[in-house]
Amino acid sequence: MSRLDPPHVSRRSFLSLVSLGSFFAALGTAAAGIFRLPNPAVLPGPVRRFKLGPPEQFSAGSETAFAEQNLVLFRDDEGFYAISSTCTHLGCTVARSKDGFACPCHGSRFNSKGSVVGGPAPRPLPWLEVSRSANGDLVVNADNEVPEGTRYRV
Amino acid sequence: MKDPSRIYRWLLLVASVVTIVYLVGAAVRENYLAQWRTVQHEYRNILREKATDDRGRELLAKFRVEMKQTTIPALGTVDRCVTCHNGIDDPRMTDMPQPHRTHPGHILDKHPVDRFGCTVCHHGQGAAMSFNEAKAEDVFWDYPLLPPELTESTCVTCHDAERLPPDQIPLLTVGMRLYREKSCGSCHKLGGRGGSLGPALDNEGAKTKHQLIMTNLKPPHTTWSWQNAHFRDPGGVVPDSLMRNPTVTRQEALALTAYMLSQWKRDVPESYLAPDKIEQKYRALHPAPLAGEEVYRGYCTACHGNGTYTRWDKKFNRFIPAIRGVSLISTATREYLRANIEQGRPGTQMPAWGSHAGGLLPEEITGVVEYLRSGAPAVPAMTALTLHGDDSNGLSLFLKNCAGCHGMNGRGGMAPEIGNPVFQQAATDEFIIRTIRNGRIGTAMPAFQRNDAPAFSDQDIADVLAYLRTLGEPKAQKAMAQRVTSRTPPGGKP
Amino acid sequence: MAETATREFLHNLHDLPQTVKDSCFRLGKAPESEREESQATFHNLFLHIHSVRVHVRTLKPTLTFGLGLMATASFLITIITGVLLMVYYKPSTDLAYQSIKDIHFTVSTGRFIRNIHRWSAQLMVLVVLLHMARVFFTASYKKPREFNWLIGLALLVLTLALSFTGYLLPWDQLAYWAITIGSNIANSPRELTDAIGITRFFDPGGFQKRLLLGANYVGQDALIRFYVLHVFVLPLALVTLLGVHFWRIRKDGGLAKPEDPPGGLAEWGGEKRPVFQPLATKTYGLMALVKGKRAPVNRGPENTVMSWPHLFWAELSVFMVTVAVTLILAFYSDAPLKELANAAIPENPAKAPWYFLGLQELVSYSAFMGGMLIPMIVLVGLALIPFLDRRPGGEGTWFGTSHERSVFWQSIFFACAVTVGMLAFTVNYGWLRNWFPNIHQLWIIAINPGSLFVLIFAAWSIFILKRKDSVRLSAVSLFTCFLVGFTLLTYFATVHRGPNWHFYWWPSQWPVH
Repeated sequence: MSRLDPPHVSRRSFLSLVSLGSFFAALGTAAAGIFRLPNPAVLPGPVRRFKLGPPEQFSAGSETAFAEQNLVLFRDDEGFYAISSTCTHLGCTVARSKDGFACPCHGSRFNSKGSVVGGPAPRPLPWLEVSRSANGDLVVNADNEVPEGTRYRV
Repeated sequence: MKDPSRIYRWLLLVASVVTIVYLVGAAVRENYLAQWRTVQHEYRNILREKATDDRGRELLAKFRVEMKQTTIPALGTVDRCVTCHNGIDDPRMTDMPQPHRTHPGHILDKHPVDRFGCTVCHHGQGAAMSFNEAKAEDVFWDYPLLPPELTESTCVTCHDAERLPPDQIPLLTVGMRLYREKSCGSCHKLGGRGGSLGPALDNEGAKTKHQLIMTNLKPPHTTWSWQNAHFRDPGGVVPDSLMRNPTVTRQEALALTAYMLSQWKRDVPESYLAPDKIEQKYRALHPAPLAGEEVYRGYCTACHGNGTYTRWDKKFNRFIPAIRGVSLISTATREYLRANIEQGRPGTQMPAWGSHAGGLLPEEITGVVEYLRSGAPAVPAMTALTLHGDDSNGLSLFLKNCAGCHGMNGRGGMAPEIGNPVFQQAATDEFIIRTIRNGRIGTAMPAFQRNDAPAFSDQDIADVLAYLRTLGEPKAQKAMAQRVTSRTPPGGKP
Repeated sequence: MAETATREFLHNLHDLPQTVKDSCFRLGKAPESEREESQATFHNLFLHIHSVRVHVRTLKPTLTFGLGLMATASFLITIITGVLLMVYYKPSTDLAYQSIKDIHFTVSTGRFIRNIHRWSAQLMVLVVLLHMARVFFTASYKKPREFNWLIGLALLVLTLALSFTGYLLPWDQLAYWAITIGSNIANSPRELTDAIGITRFFDPGGFQKRLLLGANYVGQDALIRFYVLHVFVLPLALVTLLGVHFWRIRKDGGLAKPEDPPGGLAEWGGEKRPVFQPLATKTYGLMALVKGKRAPVNRGPENTVMSWPHLFWAELSVFMVTVAVTLILAFYSDAPLKELANAAIPENPAKAPWYFLGLQELVSYSAFMGGMLIPMIVLVGLALIPFLDRRPGGEGTWFGTSHERSVFWQSIFFACAVTVGMLAFTVNYGWLRNWFPNIHQLWIIAINPGSLFVLIFAAWSIFILKRKDSVRLSAVSLFTCFLVGFTLLTYFATVHRGPNWHFYWWPSQWPVH
């Protein structure tokens, strides 16, 4: 028997291998489909776009906390900006402290512009997109982040 | 020895291969062949063509091929229309073919998609992911996509149609006018006012196709195609409908259809209501009375016409009296007219119109009575009839001369019922005597005491009157009431 | 010493893959000898419910057509797909319908998985019914399998209950109205108690309905009850009884089979030897752990083969065939979802799933007789079969006793004639109420086409009992009659009943509405 001859596979065991192989392949395909299911294809819930009212009601230099929307709206001489109050460490809601924000869960601390000044938070608090609706109200889109320092001028 | 499990191994192989084929097939169908994916790929190409400035490039870079939806918890809707209508709020897409085109008009300025969604105005199945299922005409869904021209009918969910600019709601404006002009209120209630011969229309727009008879209708079987066809030919759509043909043009039928679709008591949060809508709701609770002539036009003319002639109605199988005719008006008192309008005429198709039934305000009924009498000539005072009547002679006279039309015991036939309590209480002796003497011009009621050939003497009239009044006695009334309850009510299907 | 421990640790670390593999796969290779094949069977929790050797007849496809396995397989499929659907399904009247729409339109693979769930459930009902017919016509319920026949009946009822409870969950028109009807069938003993005027004191109907719905209408309470039944109580009960069912198969000596003829020959290692005849007084323990003599070695074969691999190939293939069939159905046909449930507009016709339509036809004559009494009679009758027909013979053989096949065909012919005749009569001439509008309800309950079917079929089986002088043949005639009646009624109600439960030759003639 030369080395080039194919190894002897009996017809019976070849059939067994192929059918068993196809069985496991089918199982694998099904499992792949099944594991796709729990991952939602489209996220439920509305767009988190909050109308905060006419810009005149916020004076320059003011800051207003919106507890339900989890954000703080600031107005300074350059314009409006909104900072999310959701901690970038593990998602607790930060509280306003004397000179910035403090997270009650694991002690992260941020300054009033959202930059990390202590604790485990890996990145600054996100700045959120500010715009105006058709009737002139300020609108904050909590689903859209903007670079730190971006102001919205009225 | 034959291998006993060989056949099973082949079977396993075949079944596994079939399984894999179908699993892969299903995966391909879902992930590559879905209609919305093709649409979004097309849209991305359009974005690429239009990406000439920074904003355009940003939109292109942000665009993902994925399912998109607008969830409006306040309205309880989840609309996925934006999965295919990607350019709906992009002003650069006005010249694009559907579904990529910008929403026409300036509607979205005040009705942003992320606050209103789509189906609150357009109906259709918002959850669907293909156009056919979103349109939902032949799938199991209660409210299919409205045709563009009828979409205005949903504006009144949050607006008062009377206050919207007519050019925004052309069909509704015509529809509202036609509803009054055609005197639809004679038979149909709307907002608690109207007749009771036809069904109330307050929630007509909320009806689904399963509530309407579609047998005689060509497809598509939608509520608006039903309404439209029904306004063109009520009897052709609903056999044995009592409704007379409103004789409207194609466009007018469409306008009435829009008006009907707009009748939908839909619960939307107050924050969605326009201020005028809230005012409208308030007005509905405290309606301003209409003038007598307006009431007559809106609620009487469908049956009585202009009221100056009597006509035979084939569907009702009786005469409809000329209620503004000289001979009635000159005989009937205000109280008699008022009682007949407020309480209706039992035994005829004339319903009660008092505030408890037809919803007319007391001052409106007064107005109508005055309107009915506006053409009445001055009537000379009648010499009082002092004779004492004998009701047994009255009975024999009645049987000979009256029962043929007014029925035994005055239960009505071709001529109105005169035994019922409303008539007995409302009709004064003078009214009855005058009517017997002079007859009712324009009807089959003859004059029984014409100067040239008096059929009745004054004594005869007194006897008949005496007999008629026995019909109003409690015993006769009881027999009457039993008969009324055991009879099928007038009217029938709409 | 420390050095040795470090070495040992490193050594163990080196051997880690091998030792983990050995502990998970104890044999470590495909079994080669019969001894290893036996071990493969009884060292595995999931396989050890099988005996190590099975009779060759067990593997013959035409004996069972794999129906029991198919039922199990479709049950497994419904369990897996059902758990997946639970990820997205919300059992609330406000959210249920929308969540099904979401599963249909947006959830990845959701539509396909819901279709599979629906089709495997339908397949399960069909296959369970066929499985019962198979067991009956092969006389496999006979001693010692009477108890397992009863378990099987319980499984049939549970299967139908699972289908019924699953029907409400989408909260669409079909669901709402089918459950309205179903719960009023539960209420139907009132038909009887009202007729004899004792409802005020004794109201089993009202009690059943309240128990089912938790209210006097189909609403949130009913939905949550049906949900709990559908996803927890009934599946748990079914799995438990299924375990018993399997275990009894093993305990009752595998599938029913005729005795090997005494003195017959069977193959044994390439030579023919007389078939081994076990003695009734002895116990033959596989591992000789029970008292009694061990099976004599080399004495002779039993016409058996090793379960590993033969039986397992068979089981695997039947499982996969079921999967494939379900997938094909699910690929081409979507599970229905009608309009959102609307208490104001009845679905017309409000048809139950096909397997309940035979009952629905009976219910259209009398809710109590058709919906409660006849199903009871049928169930009790089925349960009594193995206890009334106790003469051995014909086990494991299709139509095994003499004259069975001819009685079967005669009964089919007879039942067809009776059912078609009765339906034609009822459709053309109506029934008692049409002739005597004021007739007392008791007469309607007692005498209607449904009860007459039962009486006529019973009379036929008594006739067979007298004429053929055989309990088995009498049972065959009755079972066949009911099977034919069920099939024809199901067909009739599916195809020929339209809106307002009127007769139509074809669904395309239904009026548009």
